[in-house]
Formats: sequence, structure tokens, C-alpha cells
Amino acid sequence: MGKPITYTEQELVLALKERNNQAFSFLYDHYAGALYSIIKQIVIDNPELANDVLQEVFINIWRKIDTYDQSKGRLFTWMLNIARNASIDLLRSKGYQNSQKNQELPEIVYKGAANQAVLQHIDAIGLKKMLERLRPEHRVLVELAYFKGFTHDEIAEIEHIPLGTVKTRIRNALLQLREYLK
Amino acid sequence: MNVQEYIESGIIESYVMGLASESERAEFERLCSQYPELVVARKKFEESLEGYASENATPPPPEVKAKVLEAVKMLPTRRGPGTTAGRTQIQILLRLIIAAFFVLLVGMTFLYYQTRQENQDLTNINQRLKETLDTTSTILKKIVDEQKVVSSPDVTVVNMVGTQAAPKSSANVYWDSTRSDVYLVVKNMPGLPSDQQYQLWALIDNKPKDLGVFDATDDKVILKMKNTQKAQAFAITIEKKGGSNSPTLQKMQSMGKTMQTQ
Repeated sequence: MGKPITYTEQELVLALKERNNQAFSFLYDHYAGALYSIIKQIVIDNPELANDVLQEVFINIWRKIDTYDQSKGRLFTWMLNIARNASIDLLRSKGYQNSQKNQELPEIVYKGAANQAVLQHIDAIGLKKMLERLRPEHRVLVELAYFKGFTHDEIAEIEHIPLGTVKTRIRNALLQLREYLK
Repeated sequence: MNVQEYIESGIIESYVMGLASESERAEFERLCSQYPELVVARKKFEESLEGYASENATPPPPEVKAKVLEAVKMLPTRRGPGTTAGRTQIQILLRLIIAAFFVLLVGMTFLYYQTRQENQDLTNINQRLKETLDTTSTILKKIVDEQKVVSSPDVTVVNMVGTQAAPKSSANVYWDSTRSDVYLVVKNMPGLPSDQQYQLWALIDNKPKDLGVFDATDDKVILKMKNTQKAQAFAITIEKKGGSNSPTLQKMQSMGKTMQTQ
């Protein structure tokens, strides 16, 4: 699948921890596209901000590489979560919400998300494209949790369904995603 | 625990995608160290997620990379004591200190043993010098004593010459008749078996008086013998070790007469 082999990844991590500029440039070339994709799936319709987030993500990778623990997961997984968290943080920032002209949360955001899901039907990218294969009641929950960063409690409230159901549906949706990814 | 059931619960996907709660994450990480098959399953999902993401990558505008590299270049100058870079420097410094400490330790140990060895050598030399000095002092004292006796005006020198039994034997008796002191200087007395010694006698009115025993090895050293106030002659005999009560005249080695009569 064109991913770096384990040895290369270890070498890369080591070089990054030594603050090697060439290794960092290599990292950017190999992963910026994948990370930019996830950022754009969360920070929709604002390429300028998405660029800013990508820049912030790579600076954070450089600064926090020492906190990366290989025993807890692959380098990409760690970076993907940094990118997702940075995007969601932006999504939740006051400035962004004002710029999106949303007045109230969370209903408006949810409605927006639902609308976006419909709007993006044509040009959905990355994981979102895969979400379309899920059943709608599953897809909405994954959207809210993964792309909007809502907690399970918040989702239960928004969707007016029991917390247990939220958990089960999300877990099932993720298992289905795993099958699609294979 | 049924690991397969746990894997099929969707926890791996929740964990990898950052959707697991804090307690779920902690539990998963704990179980990962216990069940290697969990790690295998986690890696498998991570790889497929990464593969999918790479295939569906969106190339960012080229100017972003330049901005990122520029921003990162500025970062190392902001190193502080709490940063990782600072920590690395401290680690290097710490290693240097430890290395320096070991070099110092080795050096000091070497110096210590070298100094100890030198000290031991000097002590030995000192001991030998002291022994030499003691010996020399003893010899000097004997020479001085001898000189005193020899040069004293009150002393009579009795030259004892060899008898027929021992023609080469010779010794001098220095006799201070006022203070009764008798000294003997062996000039040439043949060596004796270890169970025999020479014995000096004073002859007073033809009766022998024991003046003590000596060895042939006391050659040329002045010996203080027993006192006698009277003596017409001195004689040396060979006796059993420790001396005899009366002289064995057949073994008389040398004899010398004094001026004293009576």
C-alpha cells in the first residue's frame, strides 16, 4: 500500500528525535497529503484555515516528537490524531464559529454537519467517502464523533438516543469501516 | 478474558482513531502489554488506515511546506531548560561528567597505588639504612672503646704469643690493673667446632682464674672480659662451649706474662 516499512519508520522517528531537518522534510513529503486530507474533512470550506492547521500540525510534530511512544501506536496514527485534534480545536474556537456565522451550539453545528454530509455527497474525500457506505444512522454518529469531536454523551443528547446505543452503534460502524479498509 | 471478543468489540478502532475514553485507552494499553495478539490486531488496523489515508491523500499547496520548514528553523533557538533539546544537552553534560569522573577515579586509583608503592620502597630503604646505621654505630662504639682502653696510661698491654700447639695464635690483653678491667683483642685465633670455645685465664700465684670465654669469630674486636686485680700471666685454652672450671693445659693456645710478680 506504499507505506513505509517498520524499519524505515523507526529510523525516521530516531532522526526526528534528533531534530534532523532532512528527516523532517521527508516526513512532510510523505505524510502532508494524508494529514491535509483529514484536516480538510474537518475544516470544511476554508482552505486558508486548513493550511494554517497543517502548518501548526507539523510544527507540533517537530516540537512533540519526544512524547511519541512507539509502543502505543504507529507514527502515522500519532500524527493523524494530532491533525484531527488540531482541526477539531479550530472548529470549536470562537473565531471559527463566528466566521461560519453559526449562532448556537450544538444543534446548529449538528444541522450543519448533516447538511454538509448531504452537500458533500458529490465530492466527499478520504474517510468520509468510505462513511457513505455505512447505514445512515451509523454514519451520522461517526461523523459527529470523529469529524466534529463530540463526546458520546453529547451525541446521545443531540440525537436523543441512549448513551449505550451511541456506543454500540459507533463501535459497530468502526468495525464495518475496518472491513472496508481491508 | 476472551481476547477475540475484546478485539471484535471495536475497541481497537476506537483507540486508534482517538475515539476511546480515557479509561478505555488505559485499559487497552494495559491489555496490550499482556496480550500480544491485541498489538498485532492494532497494528493491522493502523496499517490499513494509513494505507487508505495515503491513497486518498490531498496534496497541500506547495507554499505550506516552505512555511513549515521556516517556522521549524526558528524553533531550536527557543530551547529552554524544560524543553527536550535542553534535556538532551543536560543528558550529554551528565554523560560527560560521569565520564570525567571515571577518568579521575582511574587516575586517582593509579596515583594512590603508585604513591603507596613508592612509600613502601622508601620505608624499606629507610629500614635498611637504619640497620646499617645501627651496625655502624655498634662497630664505631667498639672502636672507640678499644681506643680508650688502648690509649689509657693505666693499661698494661700483654702480648700473647702462640704456643707449640698453636704457633700462629695471637691476641692482646689490655689490663687496667688499677680498675681490674680486662679487655681482649683477638688478632689471629683459628676457627673452632661449634661445640668449643676459647677461654681466657689469669694465672695468679700459679693458680688459674677464669676470665670468660670467646669465639674465634670475634676477630679484631675488643672484648670485655672478667675483671682481675692480680695476674702474673694470661693464657688462652680451648674448652667445651661455655667454658671449664679449670684449664685444659694441653690445649693452651697462647700465653703472655705480665710484669706483675708475687
